[in-house]
Amino acid sequence: MRSDALKLSAVYTKMIFRSWFQYRVDAILRSLAVFMREATSIIVIYFTLLKFDSLNGWNIYEMLFLFSLVYVTYGIMIIFFTGLRDFGKTVRTGGFDRYILRPRGLLFQLIFANADWFAAVGHGCLGILLFVLSAAKIGVVWTPARVIYYIFSIAGGVLIQGAIFLFLAALNIYLFETNALKEVFYWNGRKFAGYPISIFHKAIQFCMTFVVPFAFVNYFPSQFLLRKDDMAMYPEIFMYITPLVGIVMYLLAYLFWRVSIKYYKSSGN
Amino acid sequence: MKMKAYMAFAKKSFLQKSAYRMEHWMGILNTLIRLVIYVEIYRALYGAREAVDGITMSMVTTNFILSLGMESFFVVDDFYLSYRIGNGSIASEMLLPVSFHGRMLADNLGTAAFKLIFHFIPAMLVAVLFIGISAPAGAASMGLFVLSVLFGYGVLWSISFMFQMFSFWLINVWAIMTIKNVFINVLSGAMIPLWFMPESMKNVIKFTPFESIYFTPVQIYLGKITGAEIAGGFIKQIIWIVCLLGIGMILWHKGQKKLVVQGG
Amino acid sequence: MSFIEVKEVSKTFKVNKRSAGIPGMIANMFVPKFENKKAVDGISFDIESGEMVGFIGPNGAGKSTTIKMLSGILCPDSGSISVNSYVPYRQRKEYVAGIGVVFGQKSQLQWDLPVIDSFELLKAIYRIPEEMYKKNLKRYTDMLDMGGFINQPVRQLSLGQRMRSDIVASLLHSPKIVFFDEPTIGVDVIGKETIRSFIRELNEKDKITMIFTTHDMQDIEQTCKRILIIDKGSLLYDGSLQEIRNKYGTTRQLIAEFNEDTEVTPIENVMIGDPKDRKRSFTFDNSVVDVNALMHEILGKYSIRDITVTEPEIETIIRKIYNKEVFA
Repeated sequence: MRSDALKLSAVYTKMIFRSWFQYRVDAILRSLAVFMREATSIIVIYFTLLKFDSLNGWNIYEMLFLFSLVYVTYGIMIIFFTGLRDFGKTVRTGGFDRYILRPRGLLFQLIFANADWFAAVGHGCLGILLFVLSAAKIGVVWTPARVIYYIFSIAGGVLIQGAIFLFLAALNIYLFETNALKEVFYWNGRKFAGYPISIFHKAIQFCMTFVVPFAFVNYFPSQFLLRKDDMAMYPEIFMYITPLVGIVMYLLAYLFWRVSIKYYKSSGN
Repeated sequence: MKMKAYMAFAKKSFLQKSAYRMEHWMGILNTLIRLVIYVEIYRALYGAREAVDGITMSMVTTNFILSLGMESFFVVDDFYLSYRIGNGSIASEMLLPVSFHGRMLADNLGTAAFKLIFHFIPAMLVAVLFIGISAPAGAASMGLFVLSVLFGYGVLWSISFMFQMFSFWLINVWAIMTIKNVFINVLSGAMIPLWFMPESMKNVIKFTPFESIYFTPVQIYLGKITGAEIAGGFIKQIIWIVCLLGIGMILWHKGQKKLVVQGG
Repeated sequence: MSFIEVKEVSKTFKVNKRSAGIPGMIANMFVPKFENKKAVDGISFDIESGEMVGFIGPNGAGKSTTIKMLSGILCPDSGSISVNSYVPYRQRKEYVAGIGVVFGQKSQLQWDLPVIDSFELLKAIYRIPEEMYKKNLKRYTDMLDMGGFINQPVRQLSLGQRMRSDIVASLLHSPKIVFFDEPTIGVDVIGKETIRSFIRELNEKDKITMIFTTHDMQDIEQTCKRILIIDKGSLLYDGSLQEIRNKYGTTRQLIAEFNEDTEVTPIENVMIGDPKDRKRSFTFDNSVVDVNALMHEILGKYSIRDITVTEPEIETIIRKIYNKEVFA
């Protein structure tokens, strides 16, 4: 990134913070609401495991760890990718045309003009809280190698979800309404990504591994650390390739994005 | 006469709903995916067990099919009022010779009717054929179930109605609506069958309107509650509707005054 | 080579065709129907540097599509566009650095923040040098008298104030060409006047090339020397406003008020209206009938209390062009 681009991203960020502080109470309420909304799944799994003790061999702390990876990666990703999540609206209201009329990279503008630091607080705090609650109780010795593995897996998980957002954003250029599609392929996936995929039907496992690969965001990295019995169902290599999956997916999504921008200019909307 | 106007509003939103083709098909798929996933989670939880606390797996499945089915057409628009306050159209809408609330309900019911026919029915057919559902406890249970579904929708709508009134005082009601929905999701039985809640939670839930939305109808359908308990369930649903709408109306009058003072 | 060259440009869109009623709705849910709509159909024109040109036409005529192609948002299906020797839709970043676009309907300002904050952001986006930024900011805000509200959040501004701010926002980087899409829509009369005189002055002093679209003919009359009339994707007219008046606004209406109820004898090539309160209208084409002769004839023949001659409004002429009552 050139220093000049760095400067612009700083100006954008300053604007975002200023806008938010215009409505301080609302800003805090929003972060709280995001935190609670996301905590819903945790509350549900907590109550459920009070009754049932374990889910296919995973106890409550292992489950919380599994969930924590989803929230930490999403929390980091959403700082930058809010503009892509809301891209459908941007296209429909003509806001995208304004980005085209400015002499800067389109993706760069979309990312920095819309960064949502406050939603990230909601998601990120929950992720960190879950990590803190579970990390000491899952029997993992945090050696330097494991910490490094963990960090790389987080980065991979961020890229995987970023790629999905980028892909879905580009889809808005072809389709008028993509919310439902997003609901099915992204939000649903994420809602249940906290569960070990081994409990699901083969078709759902396939989707979570190869179509919307949430399994690489949390399930396979957790298996490296936890070594649960159900890992026997999958190739061992899956535990190591999260960063690679992230990079490949992001590159593919970026290519699709470029093609879509060309299409936008030739078709209008 | 007025009824006709409300019917027209309902029909309009019924038709509007059809404009989003993709959203519609995906919506059905979405309901089914969630259903399958919930059922699979419970299958894994049950393992080889026949029943847990007297609740069989097929009861759990039925609970999810019915709850998600109801959810698919229980339409409430949490932002109906705030949207109209935000863009100022509330002033002109209040001048119309039909009640604002009546219109809000008619709009929601129009959409709900669309969802009932084009979302609930196909999704239910697939669910019943491919997943399987317990038969209702009897013909009477089935009839009472349908009635309690209507009241269940009434409770859900009234909760939203009351919370919407905060639109008069808050710039943005997204946060409180989201928090409200967290309570509905966790405590209504839509995500976790209330049978499996810890005793302490059950005692709390008893005093909230949430179980009246999805869980009471399911209990009636399965014959888990009978006679006096069913009557009690209905009374609770009605009391909640009356209370919530009452509080909502008080807030509405206060809010309206505020709106008039500030000139909209 | 002209500053802006548009050659044989066409653009077609695919639109979803909806059938009415519940059966149509159900059909559409399963099999959507599309049809092609030609938004712009073989338009050509040149614009020289420093010109001020108005685009007019009814809704859906193809004005905005043309503007979008000129500003590089869309690329044409066929034909070529060159502006300031750039191809707008190919060399996006280089090209847009030198243009400004004002959308009357859609602000580019940060809604919750003071106007000045949006300007600061634009300074960073366009990499405007400090000196140029200060100079432009001072000059334009003085001209538009914005001192009073530049530190207020945009959401608190009146439409006129917001529009003035938006115009300045699109000028801070000293563009060579500015597109205005309905720049006075919804603005009150005084606000409109401020904006128009500002635009005029900018064009005269800074020689900025300007392209307008508007529905308000007053905007055009007071700012543009040249107009392009577009309808159904085709260029109907390209020329000066005066020329349009001379060519198509030749209809005149003479209204005579008589001192007493009078019978009028027919006059060749003149349409005489029915009497009303002792007034009669005489409608004629001033390229056929000489207005002096007609007045003499009427004044000589009858006892006249008052007489007036009116030219048609420019709106009326333009409407006639749309309706193909006259052919451009």
